[in-house]
Amino acid sequence: VRLDPYTVLRVLWRSLFIQAGFNPEGLQNLGLVFALYPALQRLYPEGEALNAAVRRHLATFNTHPYVAAGIVGGILFYEERIARGEEPTEKVVQFKASLMGPLAALGDGFFWLSLRPAVGAFSVALVPLLGVWAVAVFLLLFNTVHLYARGRFFVLGYRHGGGLVEHLRSAQLPLWGERLRSVAAACAGGLVAWLALAFGQQEHGALGVVLVSACLAGGGLTYALLRRAVSPWALWYAGAALAIAAGALL
Amino acid sequence: VTALLQHVLLAGLWGGLLALERRAFLQAMFSRPLVAATVTGMLLGDPSSGLFVGLVLELFFLGTVSLGGAAQELDTLPAVAAAAFAASLQHQSGVHGTPAVWALALLLCAPLSRVGRSFERRLDVRAQRYGDRARLFSNEGQLRRAVRQNLRAMWPHFVLFGLLCALSVLLGTLASPLFALLPLQLIRGLAWGYPALAAISAAVAVNASHARYALRYAAVSAALVLGITVAVLRLR
Repeated sequence: VRLDPYTVLRVLWRSLFIQAGFNPEGLQNLGLVFALYPALQRLYPEGEALNAAVRRHLATFNTHPYVAAGIVGGILFYEERIARGEEPTEKVVQFKASLMGPLAALGDGFFWLSLRPAVGAFSVALVPLLGVWAVAVFLLLFNTVHLYARGRFFVLGYRHGGGLVEHLRSAQLPLWGERLRSVAAACAGGLVAWLALAFGQQEHGALGVVLVSACLAGGGLTYALLRRAVSPWALWYAGAALAIAAGALL
Repeated sequence: VTALLQHVLLAGLWGGLLALERRAFLQAMFSRPLVAATVTGMLLGDPSSGLFVGLVLELFFLGTVSLGGAAQELDTLPAVAAAAFAASLQHQSGVHGTPAVWALALLLCAPLSRVGRSFERRLDVRAQRYGDRARLFSNEGQLRRAVRQNLRAMWPHFVLFGLLCALSVLLGTLASPLFALLPLQLIRGLAWGYPALAAISAAVAVNASHARYALRYAAVSAALVLGITVAVLRLR
């Protein structure tokens, strides 16, 4: 028993909906079963075996949505073997349970906490140069990595099952994450300076210097206060109130 | 009225699609503030307002993340609402997209992120019924119906966030005449508010980057930009 490429591609496509039915108890279980269903239908043509397969994947499942592609691919790897009678059903349950937590942490750390802030801050820093096209750069950069990663994880999972972990380890995602976080910080710092200068130039004489200095000092002070766990919301509104008062009175 | 209706429908549809993209399908970052606000501005005929409003919100919400499925602040909603508000002001009062308009839109719409999170939590709780139905159908052997519950669960997000975005355009349009009543001094103050909000948001972004030497990188980069810009201006 082996899945045809069309069915495998259908599973990959449907795995993009993994979070659609997110619910408090099963979390991503509905999305997982939705993704796997075409493959399970092929592997288990008889009613009872198919029913059992669907029910074993309706158990609670939760991981990072991008990295989930690797687990979905790995499930196909094991389900093919289970359908051929080479592995017990516990193998696939064990595979899911052991990988979903660590892979969620890996995906959160790399995609949400590193890649997205880095690409976001980089693209925002490009606004002065590219205007609206910075938005296209943001989508292009992020999704090139994101879609490649989803496809790659899926293929690795489908080819290697649990061996996926070794391949992910060799990709050194945490190291890349640290580098990307530095990019985010640098871009945000550069943008403050540019905005301060751009808006300062619109004011005449000393007022311009006041505005530039206030923006730069305000940025530094905000960072210091954030490190002392002051709410960003409080700083946002307090800073705006001060700036509005200064702009109105000076 | 026709233009208003068109804008309300466009914003509603766009907001609904963003909710689907963010929550249910692909997560390709169309729902990030920078993209969501700029496209909203484009749809409503004021891309620059969308871009400059989205820029600040992107920085402010740069570190917002949903870990382990926990509900996060919904940054898409204030982005669409603020861009729609700013564009509506431009249409209704003839005030072209200015820093004062952007600052007002940001200050009024940013808290919607919390409103959005509250709605999303309720939808999450409601989604349990789809999980329960899927189990019920699978026990009865109706597997197709069980599997289909995944797609059914995403439509409430489309409807609710579509309506909220449409409402924000409507409210922005209704509130726009009030802008003309603001004293000139306050408008000037608001114009200073925009770079202040951007600077604070950038500091929030630096902090949220969690880089080991975040402050050092940000300071060096700011110094470089300042130095290069001042040098270029002097040469000119």
